[in-house]
Amino acid sequence: MATTTAQLIITSTDLLSDSLSLSSIATLTTAGSATGLTGTEGLGRKKTGSTTEYTLFDASAATDDKAHKIYLKNLSTTATEYFEVQVGGVVIGRIYAGDWAFFPWSADTTGTNCDIDITPSATNMTLEYMLFTDE
Amino acid sequence: MATTATLTLASTDIAGDPVNVSKVATLTKAGSTNELDQSSGLNRVHLRSTTNKVLLAANAEGNDLAAKVYIINKSDDASLYLTVTINAQTIGKLYGGDFLFIPWSQTDVDADIEVAATNWTSSTGDIPVEYALFHEDTDFLTNA
Repeated sequence: MATTTAQLIITSTDLLSDSLSLSSIATLTTAGSATGLTGTEGLGRKKTGSTTEYTLFDASAATDDKAHKIYLKNLSTTATEYFEVQVGGVVIGRIYAGDWAFFPWSADTTGTNCDIDITPSATNMTLEYMLFTDE
Repeated sequence: MATTATLTLASTDIAGDPVNVSKVATLTKAGSTNELDQSSGLNRVHLRSTTNKVLLAANAEGNDLAAKVYIINKSDDASLYLTVTINAQTIGKLYGGDFLFIPWSQTDVDADIEVAATNWTSSTGDIPVEYALFHEDTDFLTNA
């Protein structure tokens, strides 16, 4: 069993009238258990040559209804450039330059395939990504 | 001065070499370097519904503005999970201790973020859920 942790820290000294300091640590485990995730596709980068939508992770290639985890980061330094992220054809949000996202992925294939699809706003943008799998 | 979100992914044994990814994002308004200036604050609810409940209601005025959502399942029970959906599309399940941090475009008024304690029963106890929204739209009010 592997041990993988994800830690999130959100801080601000001026968003609110009091300082904000929020910290959470999660150990990435298989669905419904304390057993650590043992699979990963490793840290990857993809440079996009066009603004055409593409599938980053295909739900049918992952085990359905599990506790997969996804990390995404937009490596652009141009503030207006973003990646639009969709799950199962539904737009979740835009990751602007320097932004990252971390979320669970069920990889459901019942009804709609919950593929992770990415649409770059410009050419020659680079997305960094990592998938932790529950197989 | 800014609001920052730092993610660190670490493992010594999930692969042949250690994983240590640490990234800092400064939360800014859409397409600019201006900082996000509004927040719902940190909220806490106790979920006991097996059907979807609206955690954050989408507002059309927020369409494609920058918003970031943090949600954590604070249950100590690894088997208890939240099913998170956006616009009725299941994103994933947050098991006890799991969190997410995602952008939220609110593409239309149907893009609510909903959660359900899918495997909750009267004997499992409530699932404590904490969440926060960081956003930019001046007119946007959440249902927090």
